[in-house]
Amino acid sequence: MPYPLFALTNLLAKKGRSLGLAAAVAFAVMIVVTLAVTSSGLEQSATAIISIAKANFAVAQKGVSDLLSSTIDASERARIAKVPGVARAVGVLVATEKINAENPVFIEIGINPSDLGPFGVTILAGHAFAADATNQCMLGWRAAANLGLHVGSKFAADGTVNTVTGIYSTGNSFGDSAAMFPLTAEQAYNRLPGIVTLVFVKVAHGYSVSAVERAIDYRLPELTTIRTASQFGRADRTLVYLKAAVTGSTILAVLIGAIIVGNTMLLSVFERTRELGLLRAVGWTRRRIVGLILTESLVLAVVGAGIGVGLSFAVSAILENVPALVGILHAHFTQGAFWRALLTALGMTIIGGLYPATRAALLAPLKALSYE
Amino acid sequence: MSDPSSSPVTAPPSRQAQSGARFAVELCDVVKRYPGGVVALDHIDLAIAEHEFVAVTGPSGCGKSTLLHLVAALDHPTSGTVRVNGQDLTTMRDLSSFRRHEVGLVFQLHNLLPRLSVLANIEVVMYGTHRSSRARRERALELLSEVELSGLEYRLPTQLSGGERQRVAIARALANEPRLLLADEPTGNLDPDAAQRIMDLFEKVNADGMTVLLVTHDEKLATRADRIVKMKAGRLAG
Ligand SMILES: Nc1ncnc2c1ncn2[C@@H]1O[C@H](COP(=O)(O)OP(=O)(O)O)[C@@H](O)[C@H]1O
Ligand SMILES: [Mg+2]
Repeated sequence: MPYPLFALTNLLAKKGRSLGLAAAVAFAVMIVVTLAVTSSGLEQSATAIISIAKANFAVAQKGVSDLLSSTIDASERARIAKVPGVARAVGVLVATEKINAENPVFIEIGINPSDLGPFGVTILAGHAFAADATNQCMLGWRAAANLGLHVGSKFAADGTVNTVTGIYSTGNSFGDSAAMFPLTAEQAYNRLPGIVTLVFVKVAHGYSVSAVERAIDYRLPELTTIRTASQFGRADRTLVYLKAAVTGSTILAVLIGAIIVGNTMLLSVFERTRELGLLRAVGWTRRRIVGLILTESLVLAVVGAGIGVGLSFAVSAILENVPALVGILHAHFTQGAFWRALLTALGMTIIGGLYPATRAALLAPLKALSYE
Repeated sequence: MSDPSSSPVTAPPSRQAQSGARFAVELCDVVKRYPGGVVALDHIDLAIAEHEFVAVTGPSGCGKSTLLHLVAALDHPTSGTVRVNGQDLTTMRDLSSFRRHEVGLVFQLHNLLPRLSVLANIEVVMYGTHRSSRARRERALELLSEVELSGLEYRLPTQLSGGERQRVAIARALANEPRLLLADEPTGNLDPDAAQRIMDLFEKVNADGMTVLLVTHDEKLATRADRIVKMKAGRLAG
């Protein structure tokens, strides 16, 4: 019989208990992975605002609590446009509004019609709104389908009833689930005259993107350039706090899981005192005894991680459909989430198994053999 | 088997070693005092030659098991030295390796892991040796046929008779080819017929060259050994 199979025999001998342990591991893994994938979903949503545009990078206000509260005024925008190497600087105002119960955070993008092309917007039906219109808008094709609206429909938003002049596509599901309004109308409705949330920069041919970024970061120290999701923390503090909370919860889950695993493994070691003593008496080394207990932990970890990831899929799907969270929470499963699951499970079982394994190894063979 | 003799070799082992004889076991002025104050072994000198079959007898509580445990490196003497196969156990560092390779152990009870098959119970002592998984299996099968239990490979210990269980324990004790077989009351729970079969087995492995140290309170069974060592209250009784 191969050695790992021996470890398995021990687990199978107490099926109920082993299942209980695997369930505890799975539960902790589920919490950790669900937190991680939904926060990564939030990150994904926020980053999606950036990736709507066909730009090299975006510029936002530095140190704001969330990206949508970034404000850049007209003079700052003008200074960005003047930085050498900036071919085009498109300012957009991004706001959210509750449209109905299913769309509690509907995204509205204020943009000048002349910037639609450079921004990467393709009009699928109808035409663009007029720059100075106060009751016109365009809908992303996903939003239009979701709301059951088409060209010519009336759409109540921005404090007025708008006529849908066109349906657009950005090639980005986040952008396609939003609506676009004339920039001036959006600024007026949000009482932010002249203000934009983000400025999207297209770098001229022959210029290095990072050199232009550095130039902007240097000339406008109150702003920051964002290219990737990981740079996002520079602008969005909420996301930083959220990540810290997820890390904290992960550590907590691992510790609680380790205590449960450790407790149960310790019981199992005491129950097997005579067997472990016999193995020591017939020549098993302490290291091999530790290896046996840790192999048992390892099997629990792998099984628990598998079940935990499955549960996390189910729980995230449910959470995404909870009315209060619809449209806010998006689960985003990455490869990293699976590694996190495995690491959580391993961390828990190895930390939890270490003490029982040590106790098992330190059993004096004779005492163990006479143990009743 | 030669005539059993009841006179123990009590001459100082060091002198015998110098005289050129080879000893499997040498106890020299061994004292074992348990924490409670009980002196289980009281200045014992004993030498067992290689290939010898020795039975240690004596009333319950006279220190037989204690003596066996010291030889098996399961416990340390309070004073004195214990040498097995020429190695001084009192200064040895890797006792696990010694127990695995130098001695085979058979106890009176609880020899086997209850959840493992007969075959797996024998294989379990071969983990961490040079043998591959397949070689471990082949060796276990070979040993089972040696103790005449072929066909019972996949039984659980609870599905065996007491005598069969002890034969599995003997097979396991032989697995790593030790030079010394140690047995503590291996027939203590068996009926006379089964006990005789176990003794047959000890005689057979002894005839094949194995040194056998058997502890038993059954004086009649002990007569099947080459030599009987009698103990009384922690001392060797002439
Ligand atoms: N672990 C122990 N702690 C204290 N006293 C012990 C221990 N083991 C054995 N003894 C005592 O040592 C003496 C010898 O015991 P043992 O070697 O088991 O004798 P035997 O095997 O001949 O019956 C007995 O008096 C017994 O009570
Ligand atoms: Mg005894």
